[in-house]
Amino acid sequence: MNANAPTVASADDILQAAIRLRREISGDLHEHVVEAIYADAARIADRAMTRPGEKSRPTFDRRLDRVLTSRVWGFPIMIAMFALMFWITIAGANVPSGWLANLLVDQLWPMLRTGANGLGFPWWLTGFLVDGVYLATAWVISVMLPPMAIFFPMFTLLEDFGYLPRVAFNLDRLFKKSGAHGKQAMTTMMGFGCNAAGVVATRIIDSPRERLIAIVTNNFALCNGRWPTQILVASLFLGSLVPAHLAGLVSAGAVVSVALLGVFFTFLVAWALSRTVLKGEVSSFSLELPPYRPPQLWQTLYTSLIDRTMIVLWRAVVFAAPAGAVIWLSANLKIGDLSVAQHLVHLLDPMGIFIGLNGVILLAYVVAIPANEIVVPTILMLTVLMTGSAEVGHGAGVMFELDSDASTKSLLEAGGWTVLTAVNLMLFSLLHNPCSTTIYTIYKETGSARWTALATLLPIGLGFLVTFLVTFVWRLF
Amino acid sequence: MKLWGITLAGLIVSGALVWPRCGVVARWRRARQLTERSQREDVLKHVLKCRANGTQPTLESIAGTLQISTGQAADVLQELESHGLLSYEGEALLLKPAGLEMALHIVRAHRLWESYLAEQTGVSEAEWHRRAERQEHLLTPREADALAAQLGHPRYDPHGDIIPETPGDLVAEKGQPLQAVPANTPVLITHIEDEPETIYAQLCAQGLRPGMRAFVIEKSAQRIRFWADGNEHVLAPVLANNLTVTLLPEYKTEDLAEEEFLSGLRTGQRAKVLGLSPACRGAERRRLLDLGFVAGTAVEVEMVSPAGDPTAYRVRGTVIALRREQSGLIRIATEEAVTA
Repeated sequence: MNANAPTVASADDILQAAIRLRREISGDLHEHVVEAIYADAARIADRAMTRPGEKSRPTFDRRLDRVLTSRVWGFPIMIAMFALMFWITIAGANVPSGWLANLLVDQLWPMLRTGANGLGFPWWLTGFLVDGVYLATAWVISVMLPPMAIFFPMFTLLEDFGYLPRVAFNLDRLFKKSGAHGKQAMTTMMGFGCNAAGVVATRIIDSPRERLIAIVTNNFALCNGRWPTQILVASLFLGSLVPAHLAGLVSAGAVVSVALLGVFFTFLVAWALSRTVLKGEVSSFSLELPPYRPPQLWQTLYTSLIDRTMIVLWRAVVFAAPAGAVIWLSANLKIGDLSVAQHLVHLLDPMGIFIGLNGVILLAYVVAIPANEIVVPTILMLTVLMTGSAEVGHGAGVMFELDSDASTKSLLEAGGWTVLTAVNLMLFSLLHNPCSTTIYTIYKETGSARWTALATLLPIGLGFLVTFLVTFVWRLF
Repeated sequence: MKLWGITLAGLIVSGALVWPRCGVVARWRRARQLTERSQREDVLKHVLKCRANGTQPTLESIAGTLQISTGQAADVLQELESHGLLSYEGEALLLKPAGLEMALHIVRAHRLWESYLAEQTGVSEAEWHRRAERQEHLLTPREADALAAQLGHPRYDPHGDIIPETPGDLVAEKGQPLQAVPANTPVLITHIEDEPETIYAQLCAQGLRPGMRAFVIEKSAQRIRFWADGNEHVLAPVLANNLTVTLLPEYKTEDLAEEEFLSGLRTGQRAKVLGLSPACRGAERRRLLDLGFVAGTAVEVEMVSPAGDPTAYRVRGTVIALRREQSGLIRIATEEAVTA
């Protein structure tokens, strides 16, 4: 062919030439492109940029990294940091929780009742709206809001500062053994505050398989809504087994054991999942360690309050209000001589007793799917309903808590509770389906009904299994 | 009442049995049809592969490959002949154009599916072949084309085989078995035979992949000791027979033996990335490329986790932590000791 003469190639010829040329390229075409882009970018940058003085990072960062990831200090600093965070959360949340409960439940609730009666509402409408919808919502807010408003900003500050990626870096080896990603340390931590927020936080894991593992196992981190149940039951039933001066130690030990059991299940389930159902999912590891920077205090406070706390709270309220309605209705609608709740408790009793719990607890967990915070008040209300003791509580369908531990305990014992029931309740509180806010969040994050179903059913299946085994062994002795 | 019950139960049972498309009978028929079709296609594939490798397919070789009796194999051959896909020329079996096209499509679908599993899923290597053996009969030519486009028209499957194009022909496997190469000669592993499965699984477990550079250290009748991508491997000859290699005249044995990987870099040393090992593929490979682990990039160790793994590296101004399995896949050349 004459190279100088203009030639008109047909489309076919061009395509053939393209196919021929393509065959001549050795190796992966995409890789050549990436390499070329990097080489070009580096050349341009070198021409346009001067790097004065020392190229490496500021020495402060290096020194801090040496300490925070050192063999000697790395783990103790981490443990101390998180123990402090939890202590601040639990200790700090007590007071505002008390205020909110006082305001919303002790002050506002009777006022609303009087107001509704004054307006001439029929009893069922007052009960439905005030005792059902309002009370459940108020309860969730007063228990949930303060710890989250303390925990999330602290967490975000640490994240902003750049410490949390170092935690992932320190702990990665532990997570790797069970097929998970080091960043799951962060999402699990977040889960101790709130599982829904923990599930959202898994976005930081960019490998699909490890992210699904983190989502499915987040529920094994004992969330804020479940700590009070654990602490109450442990101090009522387990602390009382030993002499008074050891009671605090034993009940605290029991609660920590349950939380550690949750961590154990996180690893166990992650290990099992990565070897079975998640085998075919894509997996890749990378962890960037950004430079430290001073956290922006006000901005962090604002965003963590608005983005994390308020959104989670809003979803919880959206789910808690109808739950309150259902609880009130089930206790007040009657079929024959008994209320719906009583029928359901009778129905669930055989199964509950089989696994060392009872029908009241199971029903409480069904109606309290929207929020773990209302499990204890619901159990108390249902127990009064079943035992018919009139001296406590505020009537059918009205949730309550008792001021004195002794009276709570005697009420529960009247409902047939033993130490076994208490132990199993603690276990079941750890191992049951996530709350509806979390389930909804899992669905939003995974976009898959299948993974949502797995994340919901797996923990409750484990819960039934574990409580059954404990009961079986207990009854042998 | 009772009669009604029996009638209803009878209706339900017979409905479940003979319902069009989803009844037991229909399902069983479809499964049988698929098995028969798969057998026909597997025979065509076998004939094509024999042709490419210059061997002669026989009734026995067909029966052996498909794990059926010679009588069944003869039946399948007769059916293929009656469909005009195969013909006999004396004793030799020949593919007719339609048969060739069908066989090429099956090989193409198989190799594309393996590429797909390697690049876009986390399915483990030992399962690729088995899954592709099933999928090759389910993909239509149009689906295979779509898959090829989605994968960026790959030319080689993860075992190093050329993915054929239709129309076209199957290119014979180049190279020689590792065993045939004299000691201390640099070679490139071009192909790892994925049949039989047990042998392939052992080769996978040793971390051997096409694209690795290797040389034989010593050979004996019992075993063959060789160096491949920074590690020494020992294989029985029957295993080594499944590794196909081509010579690398432009390399020296010393270069290969001194090949370094990022996992071997010590604190305070600086190195330049040479490239990624072929064992690193799919999402993992793309991720490392995105992070800047491309030829020419300078790296140094920033810090090591207190648990011993992962290690954080300084790459293009950022600090990236990698696990040991990953850093063992990045080829480097150590530069000079950096004074800390």
